[in-house]
Amino acid sequence: MNEELSRERIRRIKDIFWILAFVGVVAMVLRFVFGLGATTELTDRVPWGLWKIFNMVGGAALATSGFTIGFLGHVLHIKKLERFVKPAIAIAFLGYGSSLFALLFDIGLPWRFWHPFVYWNIHSFLFEVFWCVSFYFMITFIELSPTLLERIGLAGLRGWLHKFAAVFVIIGITLSSMHHTSLGSLFLVTPQRLHALWYSPIISLLFIISAMGGGMMVLLLLKVLVSYWYEPDRLFSTTKQTSGVIECKACTNPDDNGHGQPSEPPDMPSLRLLATIAAGILGFYLVLKVADLVLRPDAVAALKAGTWESWLYGIEMVFGVVLPIIMVMIPKIRRSASGLAVAAAFAASGLALNRMNVGIFGYFRDAGSVYFPSAVEWAITVGVLSMAGLAFFFLVENFTVFNDNWKLRGLQQRRITSAFDRLTFVWHHRLLTGLERVTLIGVVAVPVAFLLLYPDYHKDPVTMVQQPTAIDLTRDTLLIDGNRTGVSAVFAHKAHQQRLGGDQSCGKCHHLAMPDDQATPCTYCHSAMETDTRIFDHKQHATLVAEDKGLGGWHPENQSCTQCHTPFMAKNAESAKGCLECHEQDMKPVDPPEAKLAMMEAIDYHQAMHQTCIPCHKEEAARVEMAHLGDCATCHYGDVNTLTPQEIEEESSQLASLLSYLGIKR
Amino acid sequence: MKTVGMLIDVTKCIGCERCVAACVEANHLDPVRADHDKAVISDGLSANRLSTVVQLTSDRFAKKACMHCVDPSCVAACLVGGITKSENGAVVYDPDKCIGCRYCMLACPFHVPRYEWGEIVPFMKKCELCEERLAQGEIPACADACPQDVITYGDREELLAEAHRRIQANPGQYLNHVWGEEEFGGTSVMYISDVDLAELGWPDAKAEPIPEMVAPVVHATPYIAGSVLFSVAGLNWVVRRRMQRMGEAESTEGKAHDSEETAS
Repeated sequence: MNEELSRERIRRIKDIFWILAFVGVVAMVLRFVFGLGATTELTDRVPWGLWKIFNMVGGAALATSGFTIGFLGHVLHIKKLERFVKPAIAIAFLGYGSSLFALLFDIGLPWRFWHPFVYWNIHSFLFEVFWCVSFYFMITFIELSPTLLERIGLAGLRGWLHKFAAVFVIIGITLSSMHHTSLGSLFLVTPQRLHALWYSPIISLLFIISAMGGGMMVLLLLKVLVSYWYEPDRLFSTTKQTSGVIECKACTNPDDNGHGQPSEPPDMPSLRLLATIAAGILGFYLVLKVADLVLRPDAVAALKAGTWESWLYGIEMVFGVVLPIIMVMIPKIRRSASGLAVAAAFAASGLALNRMNVGIFGYFRDAGSVYFPSAVEWAITVGVLSMAGLAFFFLVENFTVFNDNWKLRGLQQRRITSAFDRLTFVWHHRLLTGLERVTLIGVVAVPVAFLLLYPDYHKDPVTMVQQPTAIDLTRDTLLIDGNRTGVSAVFAHKAHQQRLGGDQSCGKCHHLAMPDDQATPCTYCHSAMETDTRIFDHKQHATLVAEDKGLGGWHPENQSCTQCHTPFMAKNAESAKGCLECHEQDMKPVDPPEAKLAMMEAIDYHQAMHQTCIPCHKEEAARVEMAHLGDCATCHYGDVNTLTPQEIEEESSQLASLLSYLGIKR
Repeated sequence: MKTVGMLIDVTKCIGCERCVAACVEANHLDPVRADHDKAVISDGLSANRLSTVVQLTSDRFAKKACMHCVDPSCVAACLVGGITKSENGAVVYDPDKCIGCRYCMLACPFHVPRYEWGEIVPFMKKCELCEERLAQGEIPACADACPQDVITYGDREELLAEAHRRIQANPGQYLNHVWGEEEFGGTSVMYISDVDLAELGWPDAKAEPIPEMVAPVVHATPYIAGSVLFSVAGLNWVVRRRMQRMGEAESTEGKAHDSEETAS
């Protein structure tokens, strides 16, 4: 491949990673400034979202190759796989590092991340996960350190560390096998919440086996990508000539190395072995999965039900497990690096989908609501992964991770250029390299990210109460069913209006508390059925007061504080003016509240209705000596929704007859 | 100390929500429903409402709050031991230990723990059986406030006997089931009712407590870890020794070969 083209391609990929990383940093800032609730779509129903499930549970699974390859290469000393140990450890280090980093944004009180080291609960699976993952992360760092030390010329220290390599590898394998099983066990405590397709008694075993197979596939995929970008001749025979590594003088045919086999790129045999082992593990996983499905009748029933969960399960199994195994089994694909890479990509996505299914999608049915991550959640997830990607490029380019004979190829060498052409006053982006390029990306990405990710605070409040509905066009008779139970109270609106004094009577029931109130529905403020609602909009008041008083400046709303709050005092409710000091004219409360700020809050709908009707009804009942006028059943007839409009009309005509008895014409 | 609990008689409840109001007062919660509270979900529990009244049918209501399980899943789940079962049977939360991982919310079969999503420094919130009031010798605020004697507070065993006595006395009036007697190993807050309580979060409850269900896995962990550690270490030793032997053999062969060559 053309080296210049390859260089440009890597640079473009890094640029994208830098953009996403900058956006991620902005999202991290927003997460801490505004808090978890405002920046995520997590709720009490779905308390675990993208960061925990995708970054932590999924990330740990995808970065599993560290311990499996460590076992095959360093313990069993399989020669062909030893070359993969370093990249596997690098992947594990970056994968676990990024997972733990993302977790810092997910937990509510991240500055207490050390608590589990001090406060123990050994019966908690999460405790085990935390300990094993954090120690395993340290182990991967120690395992990686010889590679780093070698580069900076501390070979002596490296040799000293190398003596203990076996110990760290063995501890690493133990910690890995523990936390991979525990990551599965995390979901064991939710027997009635997790969907039957994924809630399995052997979920821990399924987790570790799938992670072992899928993790190797991730390593394979990255190996192919790195070769493709940096040293294509090790995996790809792009040109007709043999790569020049295997040269057999005995052969007359240049494509034949004398053993009846066409010669192939030097890293291909070990790559094929890796793919075969990974496919073998995935095969074992498939057997376990099928057995697990068949032996649990509820899971079979759930699969047959044909819900979207069944489809997710099917996609996960067919494209994530069966397809990669079949692809690796086909000899033609097994001989091609790109073919294996495609199989590996399927397996890795299948693994990620499995973790998402278990941790997120499998809970939707029980939660009764769907969770879709917010922009900030996506930005942090993708940003952290991009940072890990950049760190991966850094390791690959500067250390002997993938190739022991690695020579710095000058991919990072900066060309001496001027980014800004003084003659034309134009930025030449192709000239930009290294730091300038990253700075420019940051300068553009950060403000754009701030604009795009800024959490939307002023979401409309959930209107919990239903407005009364009319059974006739003229709104003579209303059905009041605030809590949507289908059982309404019948209210003869027109009859009341006539009885209380015609068109001038509105104010007797409606308190007309909104400024210039015309037809504001009760539910606008009394929006909760049983609890009070805060209705004061501070921002709106600041803006309107500033407008009203003609305040100037860039942000007039920021000049208006002292219009309501006493100067030189804390800006709180105590120092604020009473509502009626300004609103005495435009709001005409029927009975002015005593507390000066009482109008900031609206009482619940239930009480608002009852307090309007009952006192008057009781008075009237006593006055006209008709006790039943004060009874609940006067308004609450029962389930009027089952009545026809005519029947309701009849019911309200009974009211009308009552009113006519009292001397009011309907 | 005896284990206390509450018995809730659904047939008596009129849904007046006075228990909720008393709960709000006793726990110093904001009486005002926060306006942009996206956490409010259908049952009405939130970080600002530790108890709620759920409407089951047109004329049946039930109070819902923490069930104070006998063997609680949340206690087993919390990785820092921030939730504990106190001596009197109440499940209590220690905000000083909490790291905000929200595993308790996932682990609770009744969806009881709620999170302060609106706060920058958020904590978990749930009913703690009026710890403060009990310390002062009072009974929980909800039981105190109920005008219909729906909520009976007392010793769990006695309440259980009382529940069965009521069902026996009026067989037609109740379903013959005490919710909380066996579900998930029993709860301290129990219900008797004439309608099904599935809506309250009594899912197809298993009789076994969740911590006991997962206990085999928990107890197996050190053994699995030990066996992995020793088998890998042993394998490592065997393979190394074998390689060393082979290396020795090769080198001696090589030496022999060399000496032969020199000799010739």
